[in-house]
Amino acid sequence: MESGDAARPGSGRATGAPPPRLLLLPLLPLLLGRGLRVAAAASASSSGAAAEDSSAMEELATEKEAEESHRQDSVSLLTFILLLTLTILTIWLFKHRRVRFLHETGLAMIYGLIVGVILRYGTPATSGRDKSLSCTQEDRAFSTLLVNVSGKFFEYTLKGEISPGKINSVEQNDMLRKVTFDPEVFFNILLPPIIFHAGYSLKKRHFFRNLGSILAYAFLGTAVSCFIIGNLMYGVVKLMKIMGQLSDKFYYTDCLFFGAIISATDPVTVLAIFNELHADVDLYALLFGESVLNDAVAIVLSSSIVAYQPAGLNTHAFDAAAFFKSVGIFLGIFSGSFTMGAVTGVVTALVTKFTKLHCFPLLETALFFLMSWSTFLLAEACGFTGVVAVLFCGITQAHYTYNNLSVESRSRTKQLFEVLHFLAENFIFSYMGLALFTFQKHVFSPIFIIGAFVAIFLGRAAHIYPLSFFLNLGRRHKIGWNFQHMMMFSGLRGAMAFALAIRDTASYARQMMFTTTLLIVFFTVWIIGGGTTPMLSWLNIRVGVDPDQDPPPNNDSFQVLQGDGPDSARGNRTKQESAWIFRLWYSFDHNYLKPILTHSGPPLTTTLPAWCGLLARCLTSPQVYDNQEPLREEDSDFILTEGDLTLTYGDSTVTANGSSSSHTASTSLEGSRRTKSSSEEVLERDLGMGDQKMSSRGTRLVFPLEDNA
Amino acid sequence: TERQSRIMSEKDEYQFQHQGAVELLVFNFLLILTILTIWLFKNHRFRFLHETGGAMVYGLIMGLILRYATAPTDIESGTVYDCVKLTFSPSTLLVNITDQVYEYKYKREISQHNINPHQGNAILEKMTFDPEIFFNVLLPPIIFHAGYSLKKRHFFQNLGSILTYAFLGTAISCIVIGLIMYGFVKAMIHAGQLKNGDFHFTDCLFFGSLMSATDPVTVLAIFHELHVDLDLYTLLFGESVLNDAVAIVLTYSISIYSPKENPNAFDAAAFFQSVGNFLGIFAGSFAMGSAYAVITALLTKFTKLCEFPMLETGLFFLLSWSAFLSAEAAGLTGIVAVLFCGVTQAHYTYNNLSSDSKIRTKQLFEFMNFLAENVIFCYMGLALFTFQNHIFNAFFILGAFLAIFVARACNIYPLSFLLNLGRKQKIPWNFQHMMMFSGLRGAIAFALAIRNTESQPKQMMFTTTLLLVFFTVWVFGGGTTPMLTWLQIRVGVDLDENLKEDPSSQHQEANNLDKNTTKAESARLFRMWYGFDHKYLKPILTHSGPPLTTTLPEWCGPISRLLTSPQAYGEQLKDDDVECIVNQDELAIHYQEQASSPCSPPARLGLDQKASPQTPGKENIYEGDLGLGGYELKLEQTSGQSQLN
Repeated sequence: MESGDAARPGSGRATGAPPPRLLLLPLLPLLLGRGLRVAAAASASSSGAAAEDSSAMEELATEKEAEESHRQDSVSLLTFILLLTLTILTIWLFKHRRVRFLHETGLAMIYGLIVGVILRYGTPATSGRDKSLSCTQEDRAFSTLLVNVSGKFFEYTLKGEISPGKINSVEQNDMLRKVTFDPEVFFNILLPPIIFHAGYSLKKRHFFRNLGSILAYAFLGTAVSCFIIGNLMYGVVKLMKIMGQLSDKFYYTDCLFFGAIISATDPVTVLAIFNELHADVDLYALLFGESVLNDAVAIVLSSSIVAYQPAGLNTHAFDAAAFFKSVGIFLGIFSGSFTMGAVTGVVTALVTKFTKLHCFPLLETALFFLMSWSTFLLAEACGFTGVVAVLFCGITQAHYTYNNLSVESRSRTKQLFEVLHFLAENFIFSYMGLALFTFQKHVFSPIFIIGAFVAIFLGRAAHIYPLSFFLNLGRRHKIGWNFQHMMMFSGLRGAMAFALAIRDTASYARQMMFTTTLLIVFFTVWIIGGGTTPMLSWLNIRVGVDPDQDPPPNNDSFQVLQGDGPDSARGNRTKQESAWIFRLWYSFDHNYLKPILTHSGPPLTTTLPAWCGLLARCLTSPQVYDNQEPLREEDSDFILTEGDLTLTYGDSTVTANGSSSSHTASTSLEGSRRTKSSSEEVLERDLGMGDQKMSSRGTRLVFPLEDNA
Repeated sequence: TERQSRIMSEKDEYQFQHQGAVELLVFNFLLILTILTIWLFKNHRFRFLHETGGAMVYGLIMGLILRYATAPTDIESGTVYDCVKLTFSPSTLLVNITDQVYEYKYKREISQHNINPHQGNAILEKMTFDPEIFFNVLLPPIIFHAGYSLKKRHFFQNLGSILTYAFLGTAISCIVIGLIMYGFVKAMIHAGQLKNGDFHFTDCLFFGSLMSATDPVTVLAIFHELHVDLDLYTLLFGESVLNDAVAIVLTYSISIYSPKENPNAFDAAAFFQSVGNFLGIFAGSFAMGSAYAVITALLTKFTKLCEFPMLETGLFFLLSWSAFLSAEAAGLTGIVAVLFCGVTQAHYTYNNLSSDSKIRTKQLFEFMNFLAENVIFCYMGLALFTFQNHIFNAFFILGAFLAIFVARACNIYPLSFLLNLGRKQKIPWNFQHMMMFSGLRGAIAFALAIRNTESQPKQMMFTTTLLLVFFTVWVFGGGTTPMLTWLQIRVGVDLDENLKEDPSSQHQEANNLDKNTTKAESARLFRMWYGFDHKYLKPILTHSGPPLTTTLPEWCGPISRLLTSPQAYGEQLKDDDVECIVNQDELAIHYQEQASSPCSPPARLGLDQKASPQTPGKENIYEGDLGLGGYELKLEQTSGQSQLN
């Protein structure tokens, strides 16, 4: 594989590096393509050279330069795409052989690193033809600049601000600069599909069952982790200052900022392994829900820390007013983004409900996509955080709009976002690998890095264990010690931390943070990600549970309950845990929101009071009347949403029209099931463990094979 | 203060970004509106306005609003700075503004007369995309989708005619338009409407080549909906797809044409260099596109990637995209490469994909095509008002209208006459009229025109192109349905059922009839290609076809065993059936039959010829009548509804 790696970037650059001798068979066509391309490039450049010696030499020169830059853009993009292609092929190989110690994201980073090394040390440092121009007449920077150069006018667009010390490094290497993206690309193009997909694919049933715990981990936990990391890092910075290792300013707010960005966990590797091994669903839901909401909290937190600017002379002292303003900004942005996302989700649901757009799946998919994207843009335009809005939009769309879509559109939207998510995620990770070498303003500070490593582990520990303890006080279904250890262990950092860190790398402190973040991401994805499978078996966590399988879609409601024994029992317990506020929300959702926004649920005419009958009739879709017979309706709802909470509520509302007796009856039934199912569960767990050990042995068997290859 | 200024600049950046969000948001809303309107139209079966036409209407309205309802802001940004120190224009400019260094990126050169509009409205300026976006972002998915969804069977049946129309036809149309426009330009100079020396003959030819790219998306959509005669559909679609490729390369080679001394005189060397350029770029792009598709086919064949449809789809998408990028990086034309990549992918790779991936890739590219197309048409509507360097010249516009009709006529009628000499299955008069009528202009013409709007002639061309696109899409597109009835073209032919309903006996014969005529038409060159494709390429690149061990000579046994997939050995006969459904490529089937029973091909062929001529012919007439009846009924309904509205 190594020789192939060396060959591939060469093909990306098309500058004519000598082809390596040893090649594996699958890479042969790639190389052939490369040879052809080089030949074509040579012919094109020779024809271009012939055209050059004409009268309009200067014009051609600028035109040629523009063309050259376009060509370089193509090459740099091509580099990434070929990287991704290579990653896909290797991942297929890994998946095929069931190698689990390296996830696709980790692999993408490795390939990125290799290409980064080659670009850094393999390309000649071309002299950037930059001129520093001092103009004194303006007092601010315009977005476009018209420059008169000896009678000709040229238009320039603003790219960014450069700190004065870095002017020299800008001129260093043209190729390196080409592969360095504008950091806003991450926020505006790559992150939205990832986040939207996360929201859209939240396993709703388990997510809502553990909502309380997830919210606690995400909000309280992130805040705790942010403060602890910030304080620890402040100590480290103080230490560095004493040791004289700090060459520029590093304020407390910077430390807090670092705490905020590094609090965004992204256990994509762990989750992928969980998904593959079918690890315990509750643990999966807790981790996934936490990481998704975590990101949203971390983004808003970091932007409100940036906005913290005390009045008065000492800009880095504590100022209560500014502090509360920051808190206000946090709440405002968060709730604003939330509302924005939810509102567009609701609008999409209404549009898809009241038009017969589902006759044309293409139009429907396009509308869905555009509306979801509009959420992002709208939030950005209003000054909220687009990524957060997109997350909540995704959740709302999955909850309501998804039920209105035609069957084809459902699979289309799912697949579309899956592909986008996959590409974007691997792109980011391979860019991370690349950035370690191509980014030109790294500040490596060993003490800071070691401090950061210690801090994130302490922060994670201080986040998980105390919160789990408090949550266990309230939860009937405790979070076991092994789950807590696993959650502690899964504190991987990923795309979000990286994107937040790269967003602003102007000052010294920020550059140091960026470098450290990059290293933390590498370390956690490779080491912790690779250690997931051994960790799972060491912690005795149940694997082999299929979340989609356990409620078998039967027509008979009794059988549904039977098959659903352990789950509904747990659901029942969770219901008591989450107290009446969530129950209120569920019944409100089921009685009013679902009927208004989707074709399912009971008709509004029965749930709304009599005086708004006209409105209710207008909003209820005819389908609801059609499948009035309770069992069928319930069934379809069950299959559609897989939400057993709504199922039990559907039970109570539809069958008895508000009488609580049936509800208690069903609970007692579930109670009787529980004892029976628990023994089953033990058996299942044993089986699962056996399975898991076998598979981990399989992994170990494959280890040396892979090392040799 | 340092911090303060940093915050200030951060705020600036935010504003900058929000502006970008607002622009995109405008487009998003326009597209959403378009989708909803189109749904309404489709629901009520209105056919006079296609979605692209609707997108243009909304774009126009939004352009009007932006133009006349927004206040001009940011006047200062039009100020010109003189730099004595600079003698050339660097790609990056570092500007030191009160101790804060800003980096500026080279965008383009502006000629003097274009500076004033820059001082106008910042929002209008913002709403104008970089024209390269069309070529690098929006057009590739459209073109790839076109290549990927070429109905292969009918496409290959009519390959000869399509190639003739696309290559010869485009060249003819380019020259005719160029000549007519040159006449008009001369007349305009005579009438004093134009300065002498502004508008060269090469400019006219440039206009001719960009105007030759037809894009009958509206017509094709209606054809598809009404199930119009497949041969006509294929002719039009194939022509328009290849047309685009030819026009793009032609435009490029004309713009590169630069004679040594007098830029307006004819120079044989420069001319041949341009021709060489044309051929080189075309062949290079073709090779690049097919090379990537072949790589994809091999990868999907020899790995078991089909276990993971998502990975497969991702790989397919990425490799198709790299065809575009590497063509661009090599100085070739990415769009042409992408087109041929799409055709090749559909021919080979498609057969290797898992059924899930087949649907996924189809849907993915369909979706991207839909979005990109509507964005372009929306932008066209917008550009009529937001583009700030329009030059409306009534004379030129009139001339252009005349020229495209004459050129289209010169393209279709003589070529059809020549083709009919060789074709067994003639292209009838009504088809020719329909093809003449379907000379719509669309996205490619627009993208080519907007690519360079520096000089005054180019701006005039751009304005004219825009108006031509509007006119043809609205008027011709809207007039397709009446035109179809008027020309009495058969509708209601279902191509997919055609094959499925009776794959065994009767249809085979009908198909064989078609095939025979095609074969006679396309002579032995194409037959050789088919034989080669079926015997060697298909088995190498896909799982289907006869095993290579039987088709290759003895001495390359090991290679052939290595390259043949195990599936090919297994169920040879069953394979036939599968392929029939899978790729609907009956030419391949035919050859397969020949290969599997190699002892008696001549007898079979004779049988086909005897059996075929009468029965399907009658049926076709019957079917056509039925279809027309149904169609007229529908039409009545439509007109009734439109009267009601």
